[in-house]
Amino acid sequence: MTGTARSAPAVTLSVWKALFLREAVSRLAAGRAAWLWLLLEPVAHVAVLMLIFSFVRDRVVPGVSFALFLMVGVIGFNMFRNASSRSIDAITANAALFSYRQVKPVDTVLVRAALEGLIEFVVLVILCAGAILIGLDAVPHDPLGVWIALLLLTGFGAGLGLVFSVGADLVPEIGKIVKLAFTPLYFMSGVMFPPMLLPQYVREWFFLNPAAHGLEALRGAFFADYHVAPELDLGYLAAWALIAIFLGLALHVRYAQRLLAR
Amino acid sequence: MIILEDVHKRYRTEHGMGRWVLNGISLNIPRKCNVGLIGANGAGKSTLLRLIGGIDQPSKGRVERRCRVSWPLGLAGGLQGSMSGRQNAKFVCRLHGHEADMAERLAFIKEFSELGDAFEEPIKRYSSGMGARLRFALSMAFDFEVYLVDELTSVGDAAFKKKAREAFERLADQAGLIMVSHDEKSLMQFCKAGILLRDGQAHWYHDIRDALSQYKQSIAA
Repeated sequence: MTGTARSAPAVTLSVWKALFLREAVSRLAAGRAAWLWLLLEPVAHVAVLMLIFSFVRDRVVPGVSFALFLMVGVIGFNMFRNASSRSIDAITANAALFSYRQVKPVDTVLVRAALEGLIEFVVLVILCAGAILIGLDAVPHDPLGVWIALLLLTGFGAGLGLVFSVGADLVPEIGKIVKLAFTPLYFMSGVMFPPMLLPQYVREWFFLNPAAHGLEALRGAFFADYHVAPELDLGYLAAWALIAIFLGLALHVRYAQRLLAR
Repeated sequence: MIILEDVHKRYRTEHGMGRWVLNGISLNIPRKCNVGLIGANGAGKSTLLRLIGGIDQPSKGRVERRCRVSWPLGLAGGLQGSMSGRQNAKFVCRLHGHEADMAERLAFIKEFSELGDAFEEPIKRYSSGMGARLRFALSMAFDFEVYLVDELTSVGDAAFKKKAREAFERLADQAGLIMVSHDEKSLMQFCKAGILLRDGQAHWYHDIRDALSQYKQSIAA
Protein backbone atom coordinates (compact mmCIF):
# COMPACT_ATOMS: atom_id res chain seq x y z
CA MET A 1 0.00 0.00 0.00
CA THR A 2 1.46 3.31 -0.99
CA GLY A 3 -1.53 5.38 0.02
CA THR A 4 -2.32 6.33 -3.52
CA ALA A 5 -5.81 4.83 -3.47
CA ARG A 6 -8.55 7.46 -3.48
CA SER A 7 -11.59 7.29 -1.24
CA ALA A 8 -14.84 6.08 -2.79
CA PRO A 9 -16.62 9.48 -2.63
CA ALA A 10 -13.60 11.16 -4.22
CA VAL A 11 -13.68 8.67 -7.11
CA THR A 12 -17.43 9.14 -7.57
CA LEU A 13 -17.12 12.92 -7.56
CA SER A 14 -14.40 12.91 -10.18
CA VAL A 15 -16.43 10.48 -12.28
CA TRP A 16 -19.50 12.73 -12.08
CA LYS A 17 -17.49 15.76 -13.01
CA ALA A 18 -15.80 14.04 -15.95
CA LEU A 19 -19.08 12.55 -17.20
CA PHE A 20 -20.93 15.83 -16.77
CA LEU A 21 -18.43 17.80 -18.81
CA ARG A 22 -18.32 15.08 -21.43
CA GLU A 23 -22.10 14.89 -21.74
CA ALA A 24 -22.36 18.68 -21.83
CA VAL A 25 -19.84 18.90 -24.66
CA SER A 26 -21.56 16.23 -26.71
CA ARG A 27 -24.99 17.78 -26.07
CA LEU A 28 -24.05 21.41 -26.72
CA ALA A 29 -21.22 21.22 -29.23
CA ALA A 30 -22.21 18.24 -31.34
CA GLY A 31 -23.34 19.14 -34.82
CA ARG A 32 -24.06 22.59 -36.15
CA ALA A 33 -25.15 24.99 -33.40
CA ALA A 34 -26.75 22.29 -31.25
CA TRP A 35 -27.13 24.82 -28.44
CA LEU A 36 -29.21 27.09 -30.69
CA TRP A 37 -31.73 24.32 -31.28
CA LEU A 38 -32.17 23.92 -27.55
CA LEU A 39 -33.48 27.52 -27.52
CA LEU A 40 -35.37 27.38 -30.82
CA GLU A 41 -37.22 24.17 -30.06
CA PRO A 42 -39.41 25.53 -27.24
CA VAL A 43 -39.86 28.84 -29.08
CA ALA A 44 -41.06 27.06 -32.21
CA HIS A 45 -43.24 24.83 -30.09
CA VAL A 46 -44.89 27.82 -28.42
CA ALA A 47 -45.25 29.62 -31.76
CA VAL A 48 -47.11 26.69 -33.32
CA LEU A 49 -49.41 26.36 -30.33
CA MET A 50 -50.07 30.12 -30.40
CA LEU A 51 -50.98 29.91 -34.06
CA ILE A 52 -53.44 27.10 -33.43
CA PHE A 53 -54.98 28.72 -30.40
CA SER A 54 -55.30 32.12 -32.04
CA PHE A 55 -57.99 30.55 -34.24
CA VAL A 56 -59.77 29.09 -31.28
CA ARG A 57 -59.88 31.98 -28.84
CA ASP A 58 -57.65 34.85 -28.00
CA ARG A 59 -57.43 34.63 -24.22
CA VAL A 60 -57.62 31.38 -22.35
CA VAL A 61 -56.03 32.44 -19.11
CA PRO A 62 -57.25 35.66 -17.53
CA GLY A 63 -54.51 37.96 -16.30
CA VAL A 64 -51.68 36.01 -17.89
CA SER A 65 -50.02 36.41 -21.28
CA PHE A 66 -50.93 33.27 -23.17
CA ALA A 67 -47.53 33.06 -24.85
CA LEU A 68 -45.78 33.07 -21.47
CA PHE A 69 -48.30 30.60 -20.09
CA LEU A 70 -47.41 28.19 -22.88
CA MET A 71 -43.68 28.85 -22.62
CA VAL A 72 -43.53 28.05 -18.92
CA GLY A 73 -45.65 24.94 -19.44
CA VAL A 74 -43.58 23.68 -22.36
CA ILE A 75 -40.27 24.16 -20.55
CA GLY A 76 -41.57 22.66 -17.33
CA PHE A 77 -42.77 19.61 -19.23
CA ASN A 78 -39.54 19.39 -21.23
CA MET A 79 -37.59 19.41 -18.00
CA PHE A 80 -39.53 16.42 -16.73
CA ARG A 81 -39.54 14.62 -20.07
CA ASN A 82 -35.89 15.16 -21.02
CA ALA A 83 -34.62 14.32 -17.55
CA SER A 84 -36.27 10.92 -17.82
CA SER A 85 -36.21 10.07 -21.52
CA ARG A 86 -32.55 10.99 -22.02
CA SER A 87 -31.41 9.23 -18.90
CA ILE A 88 -33.22 6.05 -19.95
CA ASP A 89 -30.71 5.80 -22.82
CA ALA A 90 -27.72 6.73 -20.67
CA ILE A 91 -26.54 3.19 -20.00
CA THR A 92 -26.64 2.04 -23.63
CA ALA A 93 -25.10 5.27 -24.89
CA ASN A 94 -22.20 5.09 -22.45
CA ALA A 95 -21.57 1.34 -22.55
CA ALA A 96 -18.09 1.95 -23.97
CA LEU A 97 -17.11 3.87 -20.84
CA PHE A 98 -17.66 0.93 -18.55
CA SER A 99 -14.20 -0.28 -19.54
CA TYR A 100 -13.09 2.19 -16.88
CA ARG A 101 -14.19 0.49 -13.70
CA GLN A 102 -14.69 3.86 -11.98
CA VAL A 103 -17.77 4.50 -14.15
CA LYS A 104 -20.91 2.75 -12.93
CA PRO A 105 -24.21 2.66 -14.87
CA VAL A 106 -25.97 4.67 -12.20
CA ASP A 107 -23.43 7.50 -12.62
CA THR A 108 -24.30 7.95 -16.29
CA VAL A 109 -28.04 8.09 -15.52
CA LEU A 110 -27.73 10.60 -12.68
CA VAL A 111 -25.37 12.83 -14.62
CA ARG A 112 -27.66 12.93 -17.66
CA ALA A 113 -30.71 13.80 -15.58
CA ALA A 114 -28.82 16.60 -13.82
CA LEU A 115 -27.49 17.95 -17.11
CA GLU A 116 -30.96 18.01 -18.69
CA GLY A 117 -32.37 19.81 -15.66
CA LEU A 118 -29.62 22.41 -15.81
CA ILE A 119 -29.96 22.91 -19.57
CA GLU A 120 -33.72 23.46 -19.41
CA PHE A 121 -33.22 25.86 -16.52
CA VAL A 122 -30.76 27.93 -18.55
CA VAL A 123 -33.16 27.82 -21.51
CA LEU A 124 -35.95 29.13 -19.28
CA VAL A 125 -33.78 31.98 -17.99
CA ILE A 126 -32.71 32.98 -21.50
CA LEU A 127 -36.25 32.84 -22.89
CA CYS A 128 -37.56 34.89 -19.95
CA ALA A 129 -34.89 37.49 -20.62
CA GLY A 130 -35.92 37.51 -24.28
CA ALA A 131 -39.59 37.89 -23.34
CA ILE A 132 -38.75 40.83 -21.08
CA LEU A 133 -36.87 42.46 -23.94
CA ILE A 134 -39.96 42.33 -26.17
CA GLY A 135 -42.06 43.85 -23.40
CA LEU A 136 -43.72 40.86 -21.76
CA ASP A 137 -43.88 40.66 -17.98
CA ALA A 138 -41.72 37.55 -17.62
CA VAL A 139 -40.30 38.15 -14.16
CA PRO A 140 -41.32 35.23 -11.93
CA HIS A 141 -43.66 36.31 -9.14
CA ASP A 142 -42.23 33.75 -6.67
CA PRO A 143 -38.74 32.65 -7.84
CA LEU A 144 -38.26 30.18 -5.00
CA GLY A 145 -41.58 28.51 -5.83
CA VAL A 146 -40.52 28.25 -9.48
CA TRP A 147 -37.25 26.72 -8.39
CA ILE A 148 -38.92 24.14 -6.16
CA ALA A 149 -41.44 23.14 -8.84
CA LEU A 150 -38.66 22.74 -11.44
CA LEU A 151 -36.49 20.79 -9.02
CA LEU A 152 -39.33 18.40 -8.22
CA LEU A 153 -40.18 17.94 -11.91
CA THR A 154 -36.53 17.14 -12.67
CA GLY A 155 -36.30 14.91 -9.62
CA PHE A 156 -39.39 12.97 -10.68
CA GLY A 157 -37.98 12.69 -14.20
CA ALA A 158 -34.65 11.51 -12.83
CA GLY A 159 -36.41 8.93 -10.67
CA LEU A 160 -38.32 7.57 -13.69
CA GLY A 161 -35.04 7.62 -15.61
CA LEU A 162 -33.34 5.55 -12.90
CA VAL A 163 -36.16 3.00 -12.81
CA PHE A 164 -36.61 2.65 -16.55
CA SER A 165 -32.91 2.73 -17.43
CA VAL A 166 -32.64 -0.57 -15.58
CA GLY A 167 -35.88 -1.75 -17.15
CA ALA A 168 -34.79 -0.81 -20.66
CA ASP A 169 -31.44 -2.51 -20.24
CA LEU A 170 -33.02 -5.77 -19.09
CA VAL A 171 -36.01 -5.63 -21.49
CA PRO A 172 -35.28 -3.20 -24.39
CA GLU A 173 -38.99 -2.90 -25.29
CA ILE A 174 -39.66 -1.11 -22.00
CA GLY A 175 -37.63 1.88 -23.15
CA LYS A 176 -39.67 2.22 -26.33
CA ILE A 177 -42.99 1.92 -24.54
CA VAL A 178 -42.02 4.48 -21.91
CA LYS A 179 -41.00 6.99 -24.58
CA LEU A 180 -44.29 6.45 -26.42
CA ALA A 181 -46.11 7.16 -23.19
CA PHE A 182 -44.70 10.68 -23.04
CA THR A 183 -46.96 11.89 -25.87
CA PRO A 184 -50.27 11.19 -24.10
CA LEU A 185 -48.64 12.43 -20.90
CA TYR A 186 -47.98 15.73 -22.66
CA PHE A 187 -51.68 16.25 -23.24
CA MET A 188 -52.62 14.94 -19.82
CA SER A 189 -50.26 17.27 -17.97
CA GLY A 190 -52.02 20.45 -19.01
CA VAL A 191 -49.20 22.04 -20.98
CA MET A 192 -51.69 23.83 -23.23
CA PHE A 193 -54.55 24.69 -20.91
CA PRO A 194 -55.11 25.65 -17.28
CA PRO A 195 -56.67 22.74 -15.35
CA MET A 196 -59.27 25.14 -13.93
CA LEU A 197 -60.99 24.94 -17.32
CA LEU A 198 -61.77 21.29 -16.63
CA PRO A 199 -64.91 20.32 -14.70
CA GLN A 200 -64.24 19.23 -11.18
CA TYR A 201 -64.86 15.49 -11.67
CA VAL A 202 -62.33 15.45 -14.55
CA ARG A 203 -59.81 17.40 -12.49
CA GLU A 204 -59.83 14.69 -9.84
CA TRP A 205 -58.55 12.27 -12.46
CA PHE A 206 -56.31 14.86 -14.04
CA PHE A 207 -54.40 15.43 -10.82
CA LEU A 208 -53.56 11.76 -10.38
CA ASN A 209 -50.72 12.60 -12.75
CA PRO A 210 -47.77 13.82 -10.63
CA ALA A 211 -46.36 15.91 -13.49
CA ALA A 212 -49.62 17.93 -13.63
CA HIS A 213 -49.02 19.06 -10.04
CA GLY A 214 -45.53 20.22 -10.98
CA LEU A 215 -46.72 22.26 -13.96
CA GLU A 216 -49.61 23.79 -12.04
CA ALA A 217 -47.33 24.75 -9.13
CA LEU A 218 -44.80 26.14 -11.58
CA ARG A 219 -47.36 28.44 -13.18
CA GLY A 220 -48.84 29.40 -9.83
CA ALA A 221 -45.40 30.51 -8.69
CA PHE A 222 -44.52 32.20 -11.95
CA PHE A 223 -47.66 34.31 -12.50
CA ALA A 224 -49.04 36.51 -9.74
CA ASP A 225 -52.58 36.51 -11.14
CA TYR A 226 -52.83 32.83 -12.04
CA HIS A 227 -55.47 30.89 -10.17
CA VAL A 228 -54.22 27.43 -9.32
CA ALA A 229 -56.62 24.52 -9.02
CA PRO A 230 -57.56 23.64 -5.42
CA GLU A 231 -56.39 20.05 -5.99
CA LEU A 232 -52.77 21.19 -6.36
CA ASP A 233 -50.52 19.35 -3.90
CA LEU A 234 -46.76 19.58 -4.34
CA GLY A 235 -46.30 16.97 -1.62
CA TYR A 236 -47.93 14.47 -3.95
CA LEU A 237 -45.31 15.15 -6.64
CA ALA A 238 -42.50 15.13 -4.05
CA ALA A 239 -43.65 11.75 -2.75
CA TRP A 240 -43.71 10.32 -6.27
CA ALA A 241 -40.27 11.75 -6.97
CA LEU A 242 -38.80 10.27 -3.78
CA ILE A 243 -40.42 6.87 -4.37
CA ALA A 244 -39.18 6.78 -7.97
CA ILE A 245 -35.64 7.79 -6.97
CA PHE A 246 -35.43 5.23 -4.19
CA LEU A 247 -36.95 2.48 -6.32
CA GLY A 248 -34.56 3.38 -9.15
CA LEU A 249 -31.49 3.37 -6.90
CA ALA A 250 -32.60 0.07 -5.38
CA LEU A 251 -32.96 -1.44 -8.87
CA HIS A 252 -29.50 -0.16 -9.78
CA VAL A 253 -28.04 -1.83 -6.69
CA ARG A 254 -29.97 -5.03 -7.27
CA TYR A 255 -29.00 -5.31 -10.94
CA ALA A 256 -25.54 -3.71 -10.71
CA GLN A 257 -23.94 -6.91 -11.97
CA ARG A 258 -26.28 -7.52 -14.87
CA LEU A 259 -26.04 -3.95 -16.08
CA LEU A 260 -22.27 -4.26 -16.38
CA ALA A 261 -22.12 -7.82 -17.70
CA ARG A 262 -21.94 -7.84 -21.47
CA MET B 1 -1.84 -7.04 -3.85
CA ILE B 2 -4.80 -8.35 -5.79
CA ILE B 3 -6.89 -10.93 -4.00
CA LEU B 4 -9.26 -13.32 -5.74
CA GLU B 5 -11.42 -15.45 -3.49
CA ASP B 6 -13.31 -18.39 -4.91
CA VAL B 7 -14.15 -16.50 -8.09
CA HIS B 8 -16.76 -18.06 -10.34
CA LYS B 9 -17.95 -16.61 -13.61
CA ARG B 10 -20.45 -17.63 -16.20
CA TYR B 11 -22.22 -15.57 -18.82
CA ARG B 12 -25.86 -15.24 -19.66
CA THR B 13 -26.50 -16.52 -23.16
CA GLU B 14 -29.53 -16.63 -25.42
CA HIS B 15 -30.30 -20.06 -23.97
CA GLY B 16 -30.12 -19.26 -20.29
CA MET B 17 -26.95 -19.46 -18.23
CA GLY B 18 -23.81 -20.63 -20.00
CA ARG B 19 -21.13 -22.96 -18.69
CA TRP B 20 -18.83 -21.93 -15.88
CA VAL B 21 -15.92 -20.15 -17.55
CA LEU B 22 -14.11 -19.70 -14.26
CA ASN B 23 -14.86 -22.26 -11.61
CA GLY B 24 -13.59 -21.36 -8.18
CA ILE B 25 -10.37 -19.41 -8.58
CA SER B 26 -8.47 -18.26 -5.51
CA LEU B 27 -5.28 -16.32 -6.06
CA ASN B 28 -3.13 -13.73 -4.38
CA ILE B 29 -1.21 -11.71 -6.93
CA PRO B 30 1.54 -9.58 -5.37
CA ARG B 31 1.76 -5.95 -6.43
CA LYS B 32 5.24 -6.03 -7.89
CA CYS B 33 5.01 -9.12 -9.94
CA ASN B 34 4.88 -9.70 -13.66
CA VAL B 35 2.46 -12.47 -14.43
CA GLY B 36 1.57 -14.05 -17.75
CA LEU B 37 -1.95 -15.42 -18.15
CA ILE B 38 -1.96 -18.38 -20.50
CA GLY B 39 -4.49 -20.89 -21.68
CA ALA B 40 -6.31 -22.06 -24.77
CA ASN B 41 -8.80 -19.89 -26.61
CA GLY B 42 -11.94 -19.58 -24.51
CA ALA B 43 -10.19 -20.71 -21.33
CA GLY B 44 -11.24 -17.46 -19.66
CA LYS B 45 -8.06 -15.37 -19.85
CA SER B 46 -9.77 -12.17 -20.94
CA THR B 47 -12.65 -12.85 -18.57
CA LEU B 48 -10.25 -13.15 -15.66
CA LEU B 49 -8.46 -9.98 -16.72
CA ARG B 50 -11.77 -8.10 -16.90
CA LEU B 51 -12.70 -9.33 -13.43
CA ILE B 52 -9.33 -8.23 -12.05
CA GLY B 53 -9.81 -4.88 -13.77
CA GLY B 54 -13.22 -4.52 -12.15
CA ILE B 55 -15.09 -3.88 -15.38
CA ASP B 56 -17.07 -7.06 -14.93
CA GLN B 57 -18.29 -8.69 -11.75
CA PRO B 58 -17.84 -12.32 -10.75
CA SER B 59 -21.01 -14.43 -10.59
CA LYS B 60 -19.79 -15.74 -7.24
CA GLY B 61 -16.78 -14.93 -5.11
CA ARG B 62 -14.83 -11.74 -4.52
CA VAL B 63 -12.11 -9.67 -6.17
CA GLU B 64 -10.23 -7.16 -4.06
CA ARG B 65 -7.71 -4.64 -5.39
CA ARG B 66 -5.35 -3.19 -2.82
CA CYS B 67 -3.40 -1.07 -5.27
CA ARG B 68 -3.97 1.13 -8.28
CA VAL B 69 -4.89 -1.15 -11.14
CA SER B 70 -5.12 0.08 -14.72
CA TRP B 71 -8.00 -0.58 -17.10
CA PRO B 72 -7.25 -3.52 -19.43
CA LEU B 73 -4.93 -2.04 -22.02
CA GLY B 74 -5.30 -3.15 -25.59
CA LEU B 75 -9.07 -3.45 -25.40
CA ALA B 76 -11.12 -1.33 -27.77
CA GLY B 77 -13.70 1.02 -26.33
CA GLY B 78 -13.49 3.75 -23.77
CA LEU B 79 -13.19 6.50 -26.36
CA GLN B 80 -15.96 8.52 -27.98
CA GLY B 81 -15.78 8.95 -31.73
CA SER B 82 -17.40 12.36 -32.01
CA MET B 83 -14.91 13.92 -29.58
CA SER B 84 -11.38 14.98 -30.23
CA GLY B 85 -8.35 13.13 -28.95
CA ARG B 86 -7.81 15.92 -26.45
CA GLN B 87 -11.39 15.79 -25.16
CA ASN B 88 -11.16 12.04 -24.72
CA ALA B 89 -7.82 12.37 -22.97
CA LYS B 90 -9.24 15.03 -20.64
CA PHE B 91 -12.07 12.72 -19.75
CA VAL B 92 -9.70 9.91 -18.80
CA CYS B 93 -7.51 12.33 -16.79
CA ARG B 94 -10.51 13.58 -14.81
CA LEU B 95 -11.71 10.05 -14.25
CA HIS B 96 -8.42 9.13 -12.65
CA GLY B 97 -8.35 12.20 -10.45
CA HIS B 98 -5.67 14.10 -12.33
CA GLU B 99 -7.51 17.39 -12.43
CA ALA B 100 -4.61 19.44 -11.08
CA ASP B 101 -1.83 18.24 -13.36
CA MET B 102 -4.03 17.68 -16.40
CA ALA B 103 -2.05 20.07 -18.62
CA GLU B 104 1.15 18.07 -18.14
CA ARG B 105 -0.55 14.76 -18.83
CA LEU B 106 -2.26 16.12 -21.93
CA ALA B 107 1.06 17.43 -23.20
CA PHE B 108 2.61 14.03 -22.59
CA ILE B 109 -0.21 12.20 -24.38
CA LYS B 110 -0.06 14.55 -27.34
CA GLU B 111 3.69 14.19 -27.61
CA PHE B 112 3.89 10.47 -27.04
CA SER B 113 1.08 9.63 -29.46
CA GLU B 114 2.76 11.83 -32.12
CA LEU B 115 -0.71 12.86 -33.29
CA GLY B 116 0.19 16.53 -33.75
CA ASP B 117 -2.75 18.57 -34.97
CA ALA B 118 -4.88 15.45 -35.28
CA PHE B 119 -5.04 15.50 -31.47
CA GLU B 120 -7.71 18.21 -31.85
CA GLU B 121 -9.71 16.26 -34.45
CA PRO B 122 -12.65 13.96 -33.66
CA ILE B 123 -11.21 10.48 -33.24
CA LYS B 124 -13.71 8.96 -35.64
CA ARG B 125 -11.55 10.49 -38.38
CA TYR B 126 -8.45 8.70 -37.06
CA SER B 127 -6.93 5.79 -38.90
CA SER B 128 -6.74 2.59 -36.88
CA GLY B 129 -3.02 3.20 -36.28
CA MET B 130 -3.68 6.69 -34.94
CA GLY B 131 -6.38 5.38 -32.64
CA ALA B 132 -4.05 2.68 -31.33
CA ARG B 133 -1.32 5.27 -30.74
CA LEU B 134 -3.69 7.46 -28.75
CA ARG B 135 -4.79 4.48 -26.66
CA PHE B 136 -1.23 3.49 -25.98
CA ALA B 137 -0.20 7.03 -25.04
CA LEU B 138 -3.21 7.27 -22.71
CA SER B 139 -2.21 4.14 -20.87
CA MET B 140 1.36 5.39 -20.45
CA ALA B 141 0.18 8.69 -18.97
CA PHE B 142 -0.85 7.39 -15.56
CA ASP B 143 1.16 5.77 -12.80
CA PHE B 144 -0.60 2.55 -12.03
CA GLU B 145 0.92 -0.01 -9.73
CA VAL B 146 -0.38 -2.91 -11.73
CA TYR B 147 -1.03 -2.82 -15.47
CA LEU B 148 -3.47 -5.18 -17.11
CA VAL B 149 -2.57 -5.97 -20.69
CA ASP B 150 -4.71 -7.92 -23.11
CA GLU B 151 -2.81 -9.06 -26.19
CA LEU B 152 -0.63 -6.01 -26.65
CA THR B 153 -0.49 -6.05 -30.39
CA SER B 154 2.04 -4.03 -32.28
CA VAL B 155 1.07 -0.40 -32.47
CA GLY B 156 1.63 2.00 -35.35
CA ASP B 157 4.54 2.10 -37.76
CA ALA B 158 8.05 0.71 -37.19
CA ALA B 159 9.40 3.81 -35.44
CA PHE B 160 6.47 4.02 -33.07
CA LYS B 161 6.60 0.29 -32.43
CA LYS B 162 10.17 0.64 -31.20
CA LYS B 163 9.27 3.53 -28.92
CA ALA B 164 6.20 1.71 -27.60
CA ARG B 165 8.26 -1.36 -26.86
CA GLU B 166 10.86 0.64 -24.95
CA ALA B 167 8.22 2.45 -22.94
CA PHE B 168 6.59 -0.86 -22.17
CA GLU B 169 9.88 -2.39 -21.03
CA ARG B 170 10.49 0.52 -18.66
CA LEU B 171 7.00 0.09 -17.32
CA ALA B 172 7.44 -3.65 -16.82
CA ASP B 173 10.51 -2.88 -14.72
CA GLN B 174 8.78 -0.41 -12.44
CA ALA B 175 5.24 -1.71 -12.03
CA GLY B 176 3.41 -4.98 -11.81
CA LEU B 177 2.05 -6.50 -14.96
CA ILE B 178 -0.69 -9.00 -15.66
CA MET B 179 -0.55 -9.96 -19.26
CA VAL B 180 -2.67 -12.06 -21.57
CA SER B 181 -0.80 -13.21 -24.64
CA HIS B 182 -0.33 -16.06 -27.04
CA ASP B 183 3.11 -14.81 -27.97
CA GLU B 184 5.65 -16.91 -26.13
CA LYS B 185 8.49 -14.49 -26.79
CA SER B 186 6.90 -11.48 -25.17
CA LEU B 187 5.62 -13.61 -22.27
CA MET B 188 9.18 -14.80 -21.61
CA GLN B 189 10.52 -11.28 -21.93
CA PHE B 190 8.10 -9.49 -19.65
CA CYS B 191 6.80 -12.07 -17.18
CA LYS B 192 8.35 -13.93 -14.28
CA ALA B 193 5.45 -15.92 -12.98
CA GLY B 194 2.65 -17.56 -14.89
CA ILE B 195 -0.96 -18.49 -14.40
CA LEU B 196 -2.27 -21.36 -16.48
CA LEU B 197 -6.03 -21.43 -16.97
CA ARG B 198 -7.56 -24.81 -17.71
CA ASP B 199 -11.08 -26.15 -17.19
CA GLY B 200 -12.07 -23.09 -15.18
CA GLN B 201 -9.21 -23.57 -12.75
CA ALA B 202 -6.09 -21.46 -12.32
CA HIS B 203 -2.66 -22.91 -11.67
CA TRP B 204 0.11 -20.66 -10.41
CA TYR B 205 3.71 -21.18 -11.50
CA HIS B 206 6.59 -19.21 -10.04
CA ASP B 207 8.38 -19.52 -13.34
CA ILE B 208 6.64 -18.63 -16.58
CA ARG B 209 8.69 -21.31 -18.37
CA ASP B 210 7.10 -24.03 -16.24
CA ALA B 211 3.68 -22.65 -17.03
CA LEU B 212 4.43 -22.59 -20.73
CA SER B 213 5.78 -26.13 -20.80
CA GLN B 214 2.81 -27.36 -18.79
CA TYR B 215 0.53 -25.59 -21.27
CA LYS B 216 2.26 -27.19 -24.25
CA GLN B 217 2.01 -30.61 -22.66
CA SER B 218 -1.68 -30.11 -22.08
CA ILE B 219 -2.27 -29.32 -25.73
CA ALA B 220 -0.14 -32.22 -26.87
CA ALA B 221 -1.99 -34.64 -24.61
